[in-house]
Amino acid sequence: MKKKVLSAILSLTMVVTALAGCGNSGTGTAPAGDQSAPEAADQTANITDDAAKPAAELTGIDAIIAEAETMTLEELAAKAIEESNGKTFYGVGNSSRGKSALPLFIEYLQSIDSSYNMEFEWQQPKNNKIFEQLTSDSLKSEGTFAMTLIQDGNQIQSKMVDTDILKTFIPKEWAEANNTSADAYEGFLPLQTLNKVFMYNSTGNATYTNCWDFVYDGAHPLFMGVDSEIVGKNFLMMLTEDKYATWLKEAYDKLDDTKKAYFEPTIKSMQSDANDLGLGANGAYALAWIKLWVNSYNEQTDDGPICNTLVDASAKDQAGLLVYSKLRSVEESATVSVNNIKVAAYEDGYTGIGGYGYCHYLFLTKNSPLPWTSCAFIAFMTCTEQGFEAWGKDMGGYSSNPKVAEEIEATFHHSQGGGDEFPAKNDRGYDWWTTDGELVLEDPVYCSEVSFSVGSWIDVLDHYAPGE
Amino acid sequence: MEAIAKPDKSAIFKNKVKTWFSQPQNIILLLFGIVLTFSTVAPIVAIVKDTFKIHPGTIDQHLTGKVSGYTIVNYIDLFTSRLARTNLWMPLLNTVILSVLTCMISILFGGLFAFLVTRTDMKFKKYLSSIFIFPYIMPQWTLAVVWQHMFYSNKITGTSDGLLAAIFHVYFPHWWCQGVFPSAMVLGLHYAPFAYILIGGIFKNMDANLEEAATILDTPKWKIMFKVTLPMIKPAILSTILLVFGSAMGSYPVPHYLNLTTLSTKYISMNSTYTGEASILAIIMMVFGVLILGMNQMSLKSRKNYTTVTGKSGQLTKLTIGKMGKYVVGIIFILITFFTSIWPIMLFALETFLPNPGDYSFLYTGNLAHLTTKWWVTNENVTENGMYGQAGILYNNTIWHAFFGTLFLAVVCALIAGTIGTLIGYAVSKKRRNKWANYVNNVAFLPYLMPSIAVGAAFFILFSNERINLFNTYTLLIIAGVVKYIPFASRSSLNSMLQISNELEEAAIIMNTSWIKRMLKIIIPIQKSSIISGYLLPFMTCLRELSLFLLLCTQGFILSTTLDYFDEMGLYAFSSAINLILIVTILVFNTLVNKLTGASLDSGIGGK
Repeated sequence: MKKKVLSAILSLTMVVTALAGCGNSGTGTAPAGDQSAPEAADQTANITDDAAKPAAELTGIDAIIAEAETMTLEELAAKAIEESNGKTFYGVGNSSRGKSALPLFIEYLQSIDSSYNMEFEWQQPKNNKIFEQLTSDSLKSEGTFAMTLIQDGNQIQSKMVDTDILKTFIPKEWAEANNTSADAYEGFLPLQTLNKVFMYNSTGNATYTNCWDFVYDGAHPLFMGVDSEIVGKNFLMMLTEDKYATWLKEAYDKLDDTKKAYFEPTIKSMQSDANDLGLGANGAYALAWIKLWVNSYNEQTDDGPICNTLVDASAKDQAGLLVYSKLRSVEESATVSVNNIKVAAYEDGYTGIGGYGYCHYLFLTKNSPLPWTSCAFIAFMTCTEQGFEAWGKDMGGYSSNPKVAEEIEATFHHSQGGGDEFPAKNDRGYDWWTTDGELVLEDPVYCSEVSFSVGSWIDVLDHYAPGE
Repeated sequence: MEAIAKPDKSAIFKNKVKTWFSQPQNIILLLFGIVLTFSTVAPIVAIVKDTFKIHPGTIDQHLTGKVSGYTIVNYIDLFTSRLARTNLWMPLLNTVILSVLTCMISILFGGLFAFLVTRTDMKFKKYLSSIFIFPYIMPQWTLAVVWQHMFYSNKITGTSDGLLAAIFHVYFPHWWCQGVFPSAMVLGLHYAPFAYILIGGIFKNMDANLEEAATILDTPKWKIMFKVTLPMIKPAILSTILLVFGSAMGSYPVPHYLNLTTLSTKYISMNSTYTGEASILAIIMMVFGVLILGMNQMSLKSRKNYTTVTGKSGQLTKLTIGKMGKYVVGIIFILITFFTSIWPIMLFALETFLPNPGDYSFLYTGNLAHLTTKWWVTNENVTENGMYGQAGILYNNTIWHAFFGTLFLAVVCALIAGTIGTLIGYAVSKKRRNKWANYVNNVAFLPYLMPSIAVGAAFFILFSNERINLFNTYTLLIIAGVVKYIPFASRSSLNSMLQISNELEEAAIIMNTSWIKRMLKIIIPIQKSSIISGYLLPFMTCLRELSLFLLLCTQGFILSTTLDYFDEMGLYAFSSAINLILIVTILVFNTLVNKLTGASLDSGIGGK
């Protein structure tokens, strides 16, 4: 009987719910220059109705942002001191280093007004929870989170910007440094671009001289799963964009006949899918590469373990696609060495894509409790060396502000970080990576558009399991 | 003729009400019946609702073309799309196989050990009994990480070589390294102490006369085992299945680390773009919980009663396994438990001194200079110290903040869950044939049978809305922890309360002793050990719980999410140090409670 009572209650609950339910320096500078260029005009990332209104008609957070975009960092700092002295600032982000940048920001404000003080809490949610956290926070009249530092342009576009949950603020000095203005600039505000690059263990005999080698017979590169880190899936989707599909075609053309013969049937078989998905002329090359990659990559939980594996002498011939900056922390030992790996794109004669780049973007929340302080903090991070130092001290992260990037390089000399001893750690910088290094760059709008066409196509591909 | 005075119905009713409320057990059952109904049903309602909701930027928006509202498209897509096999059926099959295998391994291993400890003259029982429960103390996925470090190899798993491959050039097959077998082994070892405690409890109290009678009748030993002994421990086996099946089903980290796709891992991976469909997976896991409870109820009805405690035989005949045998078997188990309990701890300690995560090069070279104390003593994170931007363990604010947060959470959860569970156990035992009491008992137990990841998901959805947003607060973690862990205390309390004769309390009632005094002076002292277990188990489980809290807070908020973060990042020195901190904390509390009250997890079986 008791079981029946329990079952009845649960069933009733489900039925009720169901019914209710029917209803330029050495390291260069990150993407700003690109996105402010005319070609980036397609990226209508944060163009909302509000953004299109004249400044005089704006209200609330939009009016504050419009005003803040005309102010210098010093002026914003004065507003921040007035607004947040004695209060607590809540930030949320994919990067834990926001926590390191905040004390420096407070120090900066204290250098203007020594009596200033602000408590802060920086949260770093896991497993994509940042989007749900920001969504639920946006439902309140006044949110908890003042701002966010967030990655994954695809989800930002569809879940945060299209829904008007996050607001872009373009600092005046940042716009000037990028030869643009807040009004002219279209797109999200990037703090930095990070790169994931192809590397391989060079203690054996295997060579990777072309990006197609990473999907050649028997290769099983280490990679974070496309489901566990969505920026990885964005990379694959980006490959189908004309520019990158062409890069893949060009790399294919330079393969020897044996390898061409190996890949050709797959490329041919992708042609109809490429047509169905509305891809450009070289779309089949992109789909073939993606298919072979998903069929062959060896999924790992994070880039950390991938790096640990690759630098070990025992990982002979193994390859991987991982965050470049992971190399910074490898300690030399009897079996572990940075010299056990090679960065594919740095090798003479290497052809094709060298990796992919994605951004950490900065936004205010639409119901930010401390909007002026958020604007000042964002300006501080994007316009001063001190503000970017938490990220800039390590290789593989490129400030979107060319001026800051120059200062960072002058201070930390990342381009010679490994010297002659560890050439793999000599970071060639953003400009090199995005040209010679053929870094595939994430475009939020494109990713968002193909998320359920190319994205769903990727979802049905078979994944490799070791031992198969 | 004198008129017969009509009884005053309202007075009778008032009296009845007064009498009803004068019994504390009635108030307890009414109060907790309502509260637990809400705390169990509300999250289910929230997650069911989520399966119909349109989530911007996800598949349901794409399929419906709407950005808000409700739809059944998530159900249609999950069950009928070309991804159904990948997203639903394969994970479901893997989950069921994993849960069944875990039950089998834990029952065989734990049951055999319980038999040897309680029914044979095996040596080293006290040591073995203490050490056997270690895998349960440790977070379950830490054994999975140890498994990776031991058995992985470049040749088979395409990673760097693990210890056995690097030192002995032994390469284990893939099925041994990744997938369902290692996942079931790790979870089986983790939950074997359940089987040991439950089955051992019955073995210890079993009337030996039954087996002796069979022996006198010249029954073969195998027949005695299958016809007499096993049927008597059947209730304990069923209880173990009840406890282990749902737990294994809801385990996220073990299959995640050992590369097995289950409903739990699929829930996490689908949550970003298939949010509503992921919620359906959580519902499916919950349905399994309800089914297990239903099966348990059926088995209780049909189960033959085997009395284990008759009072006639106080002697427990122990099987003699031979002069040498008792040492040999003991030593074999010392070796086994060394690898399941001691070796992982040694590896954790060693890991914190390696130059790079998993870099055991000092073993191959014999050069101890390759070891380092940097992971412990580095006191800043500005300079590049080969520590991925982290300060050393002793100076790492994230770790210590998480540690004290976890301690606070575990203590509060244990106190609330332990107290509520004890009161429910008491009240149910007093009204054991009452339907409402049985309902309260079942509804209190139901959350335990629901997979943790699903319960966590349900609480996240319930408390993340425009009116209330408790994400990343201790309040939310405490609510989820209490609801999930009440069963530990309620079952422990109910079993012990049923053993207390009503006469004891009735005598005190006649003496006009208040209820609180009766509890404090009679009931609790008599069943002190079981009641304390009802507090200890939630405390211990809460300390290293991940699946339940994974979706409810950020990494760095509590120790288990911090540990998981470091494990995922491959920073094994930090995760190993956290493991050591957890193990030491649990052992200190267990010893402290043991010294103060005489209760411990394995007490009464082989421990003390």
